[in-house]
Amino acid sequence: MIRILDIASKDLLQLLRDPKTFMFLLIMPIAFTLLFGFAFGGFSGGASDTRLPVGFLDQDSSRLSKRLRDLFAESDIIRLNVTTRAPADLEELVAEGKLAGAIIVPNGYGRSLLVNKSARLTLIADKGTRATTTVEAEVIAVAGRLDSAVRTATIIEQTIGNRAPFQYALEQSLAAWKNPPIAVTETTSTIVKAEKKSNQSASLAHTSPGMMLQFAIAGLLTAAQIIVAERKSRSLQRLLTTATNRLHILLGHYLAIFTLIFSQFIALVLFGGLILRVDYARAPGAILIVAASAALCIAALGLLIGVLAKTDEQAVTFSLVPMFLLSGLGGAWVPLEVTGETFQTIGHLSPVAWAMDGFKNISIRGLGIESVALPALALLGYAGLFFALASWRFSTNEER
Amino acid sequence: MSANNIAISVTDLHKSFGELKAVQGVSFQVQRGEIFSLLGPNGAGKTTTISILSTLLRPDQGDAQVMGHSIRRDPMQVKSVLGVVPQEIALYEDLTARENLDFWGKMYGLRGAALRQRVQEVLEIIGLADRANGRVGKFSGGMKRRVNIGVALLHKPQVIYMDEPTVGIDPQSRRNILDSVVALKNQGMTVLYTTHYMEEAQELSDHIAIMDRGKLIAGGTNAELVQLVGEQTRIDLTLTVEASRVLPIWRAVEGVAHVSAEDGRVTVLVADSNLVLPRLFESATRLAARITSVDIREPNLEAVFLHLTGRALRD
Repeated sequence: MIRILDIASKDLLQLLRDPKTFMFLLIMPIAFTLLFGFAFGGFSGGASDTRLPVGFLDQDSSRLSKRLRDLFAESDIIRLNVTTRAPADLEELVAEGKLAGAIIVPNGYGRSLLVNKSARLTLIADKGTRATTTVEAEVIAVAGRLDSAVRTATIIEQTIGNRAPFQYALEQSLAAWKNPPIAVTETTSTIVKAEKKSNQSASLAHTSPGMMLQFAIAGLLTAAQIIVAERKSRSLQRLLTTATNRLHILLGHYLAIFTLIFSQFIALVLFGGLILRVDYARAPGAILIVAASAALCIAALGLLIGVLAKTDEQAVTFSLVPMFLLSGLGGAWVPLEVTGETFQTIGHLSPVAWAMDGFKNISIRGLGIESVALPALALLGYAGLFFALASWRFSTNEER
Repeated sequence: MSANNIAISVTDLHKSFGELKAVQGVSFQVQRGEIFSLLGPNGAGKTTTISILSTLLRPDQGDAQVMGHSIRRDPMQVKSVLGVVPQEIALYEDLTARENLDFWGKMYGLRGAALRQRVQEVLEIIGLADRANGRVGKFSGGMKRRVNIGVALLHKPQVIYMDEPTVGIDPQSRRNILDSVVALKNQGMTVLYTTHYMEEAQELSDHIAIMDRGKLIAGGTNAELVQLVGEQTRIDLTLTVEASRVLPIWRAVEGVAHVSAEDGRVTVLVADSNLVLPRLFESATRLAARITSVDIREPNLEAVFLHLTGRALRD
């Protein structure tokens, strides 16, 4: 058994001396995580703001119209785009889809509110869309809130006079909306909470494991080349003339590749958690289980590639094809969640999809350790399959 | 040969790869402490035979005993008494000489202080103690060959197989390797040596088996093999006169078996060149002819191979 460790140590020494190892296993995944994170999530505040863009044209310029603007600016639904453009221009922007809607505060709006008259706002929107319904509901809610606050302040001022001036009462009324005496507490599952994070965080939480898995497979190239070189130089045959059996040789190589990939996962998980703020720390035990089972699976694939490839060129081909195929199919680049059900089913033929599920169940969906059981089992199943194939091929490569 | 004195006993080995019959009924015995060469051209079946005796390949038929252990029944026992020097440089080029020896020592079951001591000894034996920490990939061909041999010596094997260990190296490295093979024999090791260089087999071997197309076609000592085919010494001469003038005279010289001429060069086959050569000079003088060059070729394995197969050894 100790020969397994000897072979693994020798392989690791060879791998660590190969600059390609660090290129594939650390530098490229970090670079691509940042690149993809930027491409899909962005790093600017504007790009990460998911609120609907709505134009705001204030033709009234009264104290209350400005207060209305402030209330919209605080909205979780609407991102206000204050403008001085003509209404026709706003209609055009809405028609082009550049704005989800446009609010026009007509002249006299503030005065109407104060005299307890019906004060109307104009909303330009593309009727029938979900965005319009959302914007409309928010405009009604915010305008209604201001209307109620004005009415309340007016009554208070009329009732107790200077002890509670209108402006003071108005602010108190508006503040009361923020802390109503009766409130419905909306309990949102951790899944939804996690998905409410900014686009940037969500994007990095996807690309971090995606690139980690993709380049773990790409990194198999160096490991496979060591096995190929061993066979080409006849060192493998020489090993077989010692009292080292085939299974020990295979396990030695397997242990080396596993150690390398598992170390890569740990380093990149730490990078993702500490630098990119991906929430791996929510369930470290679960992350370790997914990382270990994914490393076992990918290492077995590397072993199979090393056993199958007869030349360095074949090692390159056999490493890069599964990298692109399994990564693409398994959702390392684009989340499978945004694809259709059929593609998701096909995607799960790739072990990368199961590994992504495992990582994202923790870092994005906020689930517990039990959520990684199925992905881990699937990955171990693939590991067993790849190892069995490698073992069979290894035994048939030479007669004995 | 007594059974106790036999290191390797090969009986009726057969091995085919599809239609190709690589080894066909090969049998021979190697005594303990001798150098035994398998001589033959490329593709003769030497490496396949060595691979079978190393337990890398399973024979289709036949068996072999190495230090009393059957390659079929006790392959692990066979491996434990064997050191194998493959034809290729079977080393890890990105490791240093010491790291290579250290790794292979572990594969041969050495550990700890015993391993460190033996690695140092072997580095000194192969003359690379001062280059121990250099990467093998940066070594010359000859240095790599020496490390390649050193690996096989780590566990002090009783029997060592060397498969064409001098292929593709410079004359000085080749000389070093041949000297080290003799040194191994002097230490009591049994050496099974394969080569297609006739000179190496002649120089090193106590016994030689000639292989061709998977079969052993002759075996014995160098002298026995030469006598086996009754080869004669060949003398090539060039003269200042037309060859045709001396041919009838030299044919009549006592001790001359055959005379022929080609491209101005006269070839004379004789049983004993020491006796005949003076007579050739004497008769040439009588004809007022001067002999300007003489090339004497003693009977050798090249001639034996040619005689037995009709082909040159290097064909």
